[in-house]
Amino acid sequence: MSLWLRWSWRDLRARWVQVAAIALVIALGTGSYAGLSSLTVWRIDAAEQSFELTKMYDLRARLPAGSFVEQGDLRAALADLEDRGWVEASEERLLVPTQLDASTADETILVTGQIVGVDLSDGGPSVNRVLALEGRELTEADAGEDIVLLELNFAHHYDLPIEGEVLIAGDRPIRYVGHGSSPEQFTVITEGGGFLAQATFASMFTSLETAQRLGAQPGAVNDLVLLLTDDADHQQAAADLEAALDGAGIGATVMEPLDDAAYRLITEDPEGDQQFYNVFAIAIFGGAVFAAFNLTTRMVESQRREIGIAMAIGISPRIIAMRPLLFGLQIAFLGVVFGVAVGVLIALAMQGLLAELQPALPVFEAPFQFQLFATVALIGLAVPLLAIMYPVLRAVRVHPVDAIKPTHLAARGNRFVAALRRIPLPGNTFAQLPFRNLLRSPRRAFLTILGVGAVLSVLVGIVGLLDSLIRTIDRSDDELLSGAPDRIEITLDQFYPVDSPAADIVLNSPVLTDAEPVLQVAGASLVADDPDEDIDLFVSFVDLESDLWRPTVTNGSVDRDTLGVVLSEGAATDMGVSPGDDVELRYPRRTGPTNFEVVQESVSVLGTHAHPFRFVAYFDSTHASFVGLEGATNLIYARPAAGEDEDSVQRALFGSAGVASVQGVTATTDAIRDAMAEFTGVFQVIQGAALILALLIAFNAASISEDERARENATMLAFGIPLRTILRMAVIESLAIGILGTVIGLGGGFLILLWTVEVLLPQTLPDITLESTLSLGSLAIVLLLGIVAVAAAPLFTLRKLRRMNIPSTLRVME
Amino acid sequence: MTTDSPLIHLRGVAKHYDVGPARVTALGGVDLDVAEGEFVVVLGPSGCGKTTLLNMIGALDTPTEGSIAVGGRDITGASRGELFGFRRRTVSFIFQSFNLFPGLTARENVEFGIDASGRRQRSEAPEVLADVGLGDRVDHFPHQLSGGEQQRVAIARALATDNPVLLADEPTGELDFRTGTQILELLRAEAGPGHAVLVVTHNREISRVADRVIELSSGSVVSDGPPEGGRVPISELHW
Repeated sequence: MSLWLRWSWRDLRARWVQVAAIALVIALGTGSYAGLSSLTVWRIDAAEQSFELTKMYDLRARLPAGSFVEQGDLRAALADLEDRGWVEASEERLLVPTQLDASTADETILVTGQIVGVDLSDGGPSVNRVLALEGRELTEADAGEDIVLLELNFAHHYDLPIEGEVLIAGDRPIRYVGHGSSPEQFTVITEGGGFLAQATFASMFTSLETAQRLGAQPGAVNDLVLLLTDDADHQQAAADLEAALDGAGIGATVMEPLDDAAYRLITEDPEGDQQFYNVFAIAIFGGAVFAAFNLTTRMVESQRREIGIAMAIGISPRIIAMRPLLFGLQIAFLGVVFGVAVGVLIALAMQGLLAELQPALPVFEAPFQFQLFATVALIGLAVPLLAIMYPVLRAVRVHPVDAIKPTHLAARGNRFVAALRRIPLPGNTFAQLPFRNLLRSPRRAFLTILGVGAVLSVLVGIVGLLDSLIRTIDRSDDELLSGAPDRIEITLDQFYPVDSPAADIVLNSPVLTDAEPVLQVAGASLVADDPDEDIDLFVSFVDLESDLWRPTVTNGSVDRDTLGVVLSEGAATDMGVSPGDDVELRYPRRTGPTNFEVVQESVSVLGTHAHPFRFVAYFDSTHASFVGLEGATNLIYARPAAGEDEDSVQRALFGSAGVASVQGVTATTDAIRDAMAEFTGVFQVIQGAALILALLIAFNAASISEDERARENATMLAFGIPLRTILRMAVIESLAIGILGTVIGLGGGFLILLWTVEVLLPQTLPDITLESTLSLGSLAIVLLLGIVAVAAAPLFTLRKLRRMNIPSTLRVME
Repeated sequence: MTTDSPLIHLRGVAKHYDVGPARVTALGGVDLDVAEGEFVVVLGPSGCGKTTLLNMIGALDTPTEGSIAVGGRDITGASRGELFGFRRRTVSFIFQSFNLFPGLTARENVEFGIDASGRRQRSEAPEVLADVGLGDRVDHFPHQLSGGEQQRVAIARALATDNPVLLADEPTGELDFRTGTQILELLRAEAGPGHAVLVVTHNREISRVADRVIELSSGSVVSDGPPEGGRVPISELHW
């Protein structure tokens, strides 16, 4: 045994560079999977513990924007549930929109936002708690004071100090004493659908009393959150609450956590993302398997004659197999050791990125995932052993005489291989040799090509996904900016009559031109046969023939006199409707000055528009009576007057009564673009792993080829063929591998991209309709990496070639 | 057949290797001239330095001492690039284990020799193969040929370069007698105007067909002259 161990150890030492490279290949495959999967475990744990710590609501009742009820009215609707003992805790809150000026000496920061008023008595709130992750907590003593906690995502985005002062609408200074976090703000999603919107939206947490005073809504609330007891029937409780609110004449939307976009994003995203990671890690690992299999096969084949000699002198195949298997075991062991290191490094890199991306989670721990790493280590150990098993079994199955036969006498390949060898090639022998060498052992070449192709497909998948997201944002910008690229949206803090002072001050503002009143209504949805398939809508009543801006109708036609909805293409496709069809629409209809009721009605589909966000829908402004809001507005489209710009308009209108925010139309997509720049870091980790892997595979293939062809190279050197010609031939051979690998990589990568965009994303991100896109720039990067990097790999063997002892290499007896 | 200036000219050529503290002499001060048209056999037991001598002449190795000129050109101090050019256009090798390119057919292997030196047209490859008796094997791969046929392809490859010096290292070492004599006939025929053939072997019988036999022992030339008993036709060889 010790002889075989020593012998295999010598094999390893003799080829340590290739062994280390194979081990690294395995390590990158296993490590990326373990590292990325660790991240998912951490994210799920962090989300669960954070929601638990902050007592995320089980049910929530929200009034439509601009609607308020007396404090106590919402809680009164809980009487039945309380009688049944289903209510563990409840809180009435007041959420009022506002503007926020958090400008610093270096930067103008004017954003839309909200004041979240909560009951601070008895250490409250007991539901949807507000935690100061930086600075001090709010206490009962702060009730009624102009003291707030600034939402942490927003504060971090602008690097605001832990304590300071900001201005809210009406130029009122407010002191903030820390950066706070609450479950619905763990990630910032605005009602308009803007996610990762911390650049454009700021929440301030304060006492209920303060919110009522600042929002000019004394004694009013518009939000109820409650925790149910363990034995409560959640669905029944939701239905009963909705009925109770209806009975009380309060038109409110009852939500469960899964209806909350932030909750959904944080809890469902990790699992959705894990599917991405799985695809990428499996592709990387697949590449590693091909590479390990290919390379170990070649190493074992190089021992073929020695195996034959051992067989000839009667050593049992089991014993003979021990040497290459021990060799494989050593590679596997090294691969596992490297893999743990790579996994830890990737996990650390990802952990850092994630902590930056989701700073508002109050709990984020990253314990080493022993079980995960152990499982992956086992796989990493098994793969090279299995990879080496096949060529070993193949080698010990042949007759000793065939194994001993010198290479130049050993007939190889089947008819297909023979046919490949006979393909006529142009050019002289130096031009032909690279291709002849490839065709000489097509199986081996194919495995190398597949290995390169697998890792490149990961690259294509990642860059394609980024391109698709960017393309979608561009489409959104194109649509929103069409006609009037400087268009500004002025959001009012509630519905106002068009001729009210609040609307008038904007519509006739000297800093604006072409101002048009618009109506936006949240809380609508398209009703599907399966309630799970319902599609939430954000409906805007706009002039569909406006000269300032109107949605681009891609299908169907718009007639202002006809009542109908213009849906996004995604919504129309998902509902299976075309222009002229009817859809069932559930929406809030105003029944009184501040009261709404939810009604369901059939409405005709006029057409589809070009915006890629599924939830965006339009009616013509002449049909505002459909929702009981004729003559009302809560949004104004306009352009800056001559000599004005977005910044000056913001400053001019900031503090105007009724104005909640002033933003360019692409504020949300700009924020997404910013956020994507941070996400790019996550993908760069995977890209880096894939790139190193592709290079390792190419280097290993080139290095082993150089070993295998040492005598051929020596012969060429003996015939005076210059080193550069020999290298050129190796580079051309590698180039061919690179080209074919890249073709496979592009094909495989596009399939991954298609699957991601067409299958996975519609499930995890249904509100955005993405188109599979691979930009020319990305294509160039992939081609550069796949072809140039792989082709250049043989250059690393130059030193070995230069130092070759030609006579002794030529005299090696086969 | 010879001209005044020798095709191969060695003076005081020595090769030493340092193995730890010891110095091993593979070749010790060899003087040698080979004229064009000569068929020379270098004879000696294993380890006597005959392959080292061949490698020096073929510029595969460099001498520790002495000077080497081949085809009127001193290669002792030549640069690496010059040596590549020298090997391409002055010498050709035939190896004991053939060293054919397994991915190329017989014709393509010969074309390789033509491409290397650039002296002949690639279309002449089948003709060269026909000259060595392989006119019907041009499209066979090495593994489809017998050992003797492979060596004949190797000879055709070397002949195709049309280089003046042909160096053969134990060219019949892996072949049976009958095939070996066929190979010797081919090599013998190559020695003519403008060309010299140097064959290294430990087989004394082969030396009987040479114009000249140089016997080496422990790195030194111990005899140099026509074969003992005179040159005989190849048909009289036995081993």
